[in-house]
Amino acid sequence: MVTPMDASLLEVKGVSKTFDGVVHALDDVSIAVRQNEIVGVVGENGAGKSTLMKILVGVYSPDKGELYYRGRKVPFPYNPKEAAKRGISIVYQEKGVIPHLKVYQFLFLGYEDKYVKFSRLQIDKMKKRASQILEELRVKCDVEDFMYELPLSAQKMVEIARAILSVRLERTDADITPIIILDEPTAPLTVEESRELSSDILDMKKNASFIFVSHIIPEVMEFTDRVHVLRDGKLVAHYDLSKEKITEEDLFRAIVGRESSEYIYKPEVKKVVSEEVVLTVKNLTKNGCYYDISFDLHKSECIGIFGPAGSGKSEIIKTIAGLISFEGGVLIVKGQEVKADELPHVRLARGIGYFSGETGKELFLNWPIVKNISIVNIEKILRKFIPVISFNAEKKMAEKIMKKMRIRAPSINTDCYSLSGGSKQKVSVGKWFERSPDIFLLEDPTIGIDVGAREDIYETTLEMKKSGISMILISDDPKEYFILCDKIMLVKDGRIQKVLSPDEFRKVMAA
Amino acid sequence: MKIVGRNKLITPVIFQTLKTHPVILALIALFVIFSGLYPERFLTPLNLSSILKQFVELMLFALGPSIVLVIGSLDLSFVGIWMLGGILVWLLMPILGMFSILVIPLLGLATGLLIGVIQVKVKIPSFILTLGLLVAYWGLTAVLSGGYPRSVRQYAFITARLIPYLPTAFLWSIPIIIVAVFIIKCTRIGTYLYAIGSNEEGAHLAGINVDKYRILTFTLSGLFTGIGLIILFPHLGCTAPIELKLNNVILPLVAIVLGGTPLVGGSGGPQRTILGALTLAVVYRGLYLSLLHPATIQLLVGLLLIISIVVSTRGLKGVTIT
Repeated sequence: MVTPMDASLLEVKGVSKTFDGVVHALDDVSIAVRQNEIVGVVGENGAGKSTLMKILVGVYSPDKGELYYRGRKVPFPYNPKEAAKRGISIVYQEKGVIPHLKVYQFLFLGYEDKYVKFSRLQIDKMKKRASQILEELRVKCDVEDFMYELPLSAQKMVEIARAILSVRLERTDADITPIIILDEPTAPLTVEESRELSSDILDMKKNASFIFVSHIIPEVMEFTDRVHVLRDGKLVAHYDLSKEKITEEDLFRAIVGRESSEYIYKPEVKKVVSEEVVLTVKNLTKNGCYYDISFDLHKSECIGIFGPAGSGKSEIIKTIAGLISFEGGVLIVKGQEVKADELPHVRLARGIGYFSGETGKELFLNWPIVKNISIVNIEKILRKFIPVISFNAEKKMAEKIMKKMRIRAPSINTDCYSLSGGSKQKVSVGKWFERSPDIFLLEDPTIGIDVGAREDIYETTLEMKKSGISMILISDDPKEYFILCDKIMLVKDGRIQKVLSPDEFRKVMAA
Repeated sequence: MKIVGRNKLITPVIFQTLKTHPVILALIALFVIFSGLYPERFLTPLNLSSILKQFVELMLFALGPSIVLVIGSLDLSFVGIWMLGGILVWLLMPILGMFSILVIPLLGLATGLLIGVIQVKVKIPSFILTLGLLVAYWGLTAVLSGGYPRSVRQYAFITARLIPYLPTAFLWSIPIIIVAVFIIKCTRIGTYLYAIGSNEEGAHLAGINVDKYRILTFTLSGLFTGIGLIILFPHLGCTAPIELKLNNVILPLVAIVLGGTPLVGGSGGPQRTILGALTLAVVYRGLYLSLLHPATIQLLVGLLLIISIVVSTRGLKGVTIT
């Protein structure tokens, strides 16, 4: 039996879910997935995207709602295997890959029982089936490769192949169209890698339907057929991109619920660079990473270092932060030449602060917000005569930052692990805002967070810049460079290729 | 009006305290059970005084290691410092006179510094390092002592009785415990140690000199063990053992874990060990009164250690830094 193209393959109607009886995670949400289409589900962190997906794969059970599969009402799944019987499978954002397994072992993980004969695994048969499916989906890798040997985008593809395979193994009918949920698949990837992945997913459309969960607007616009927008647990908009003409701004407004502030689309708000040089880098070299890097960083200037992953940009910023040492060249901070193997705490004492957006890297997750903010600002809250922490000052400082950064949390004593990704990032940026180092190094400051939190972070960083703080930025998002930087250096294979102004950079990126 | 408001506040505070210190419930329950089981022997001044004596021993031994556990490492050297320190006091008595007791805190300081430096330079697990050191000290003690336990009676005055039924050692231990808790709770050293235990890379990025504070942690641990031993040495009979008893190593660890300091670091600390040591002292006395075979008591203590580790690890997210 083949379902007609227009009829819904999977339909969710009126799903509600509350946690602890208070928080409305989902409120009367309905979405539908058709045969061979890519459906986008977008929203800020905490809008309910993840909860909805977890209901679909049987991690949570909903309080209310109905599920229709091929027009027939079916109960909600109660575990992932049940979900696979309804044709649904998920590829998680991260930590889905087991690096030390071979590709075919990973593909059949959890389904080995289908290939057991006399309690022995039929490895040849597994390999054959694995290479069949990899060929069908045009995944470029060998079944004997270890997972960690593959590039990140290929790993994602193998994960998608695994999801499709799990549906096929659970259901015996061969013509089934699996519904694959992709939970922010491009989040851990660089720009080129995610482009590659996107085109691969488009190719796979004939093999499966996809639910694409994301908060990256251009990506959603580019390759979904329809978009559902969630905000605060409610379905606020639904666009059919093949029929309606909508712009990125429309989608932004639907997601955030307010107008985009000027920063994002009008980068002219900055430009107050003074002549004073705070950091000089001369012929900086570390063999195998970068060579002959030279530039001057002025007071309240922001320099962006742009390049593909592995171009050495990350190593350059980490060197300045003191996380790795350099082998040749000179590094002068505020007129003083510094040693190559200085540790981060010495660099911080010189006024260099380093902020990395990588989740959980900076934060102490089992600590309340207040402690996470005071950790780099302890000098400020010590009592005058004996070096004892004043808890009152600590509290005041945290409250000020929480208000300033618009951190959504019940109180300053909320533990950080329970915050959303955006709020976590805001706590990290907030502590550096309070500390206000002379030179602020930002590595992927907004990775993995939603548009609203992103704007708040840009606003704060621009304010820091205006107050005379110099910055160096590294990011995977070209747009971030127009917003924050005064000058952008293109780096390739560890060497500076060109130095561009934001306008020139925009032209290069458009081309 | 004010009192009504305060009453409303008290209940949630009690609940919160019980949630973060579940061992309080165990302590109350044990008290009730044991007083019910041995009505004539448990709630006597003599027995309560014995509980306090046991508490002092557990607490002072556990004080240093519970600071080390905050950064997620383990320090087993405390018994070694006790054994070797005792013998050194006996050896140096003819030369230094009454000052020779000061050799114990010096030994503690030196041992902690040594462990810290080795830890930072070679990066080996502190468990195996301190265990090795413990065994080495044991050997050295046996060599120096000539094979006999040596007692130094001159120091008995330190713990001479001042108030009936109240062990003097308990009185002396109070300021030491307060200083340790103060360092961990109110100074930046404490904050930095929690930071290192919670997320070492994050501590690095926050500009903390991780290596320096690691060394400082072990040094503090050794120092507190050494200072505690000035009281414990006379308290435990002015004699250091020359045979290593596993119980001396294990029981303080049980007290720490029972107090709710998880072995992974980042939370807990000496202030929690107070409750743990008290609970363990009550358990020990209660079992002692029960006339169970010592081997059975040993079995129960082992099980208690495992259960409390499971509880303190699984309850990790509910545990706040207190």
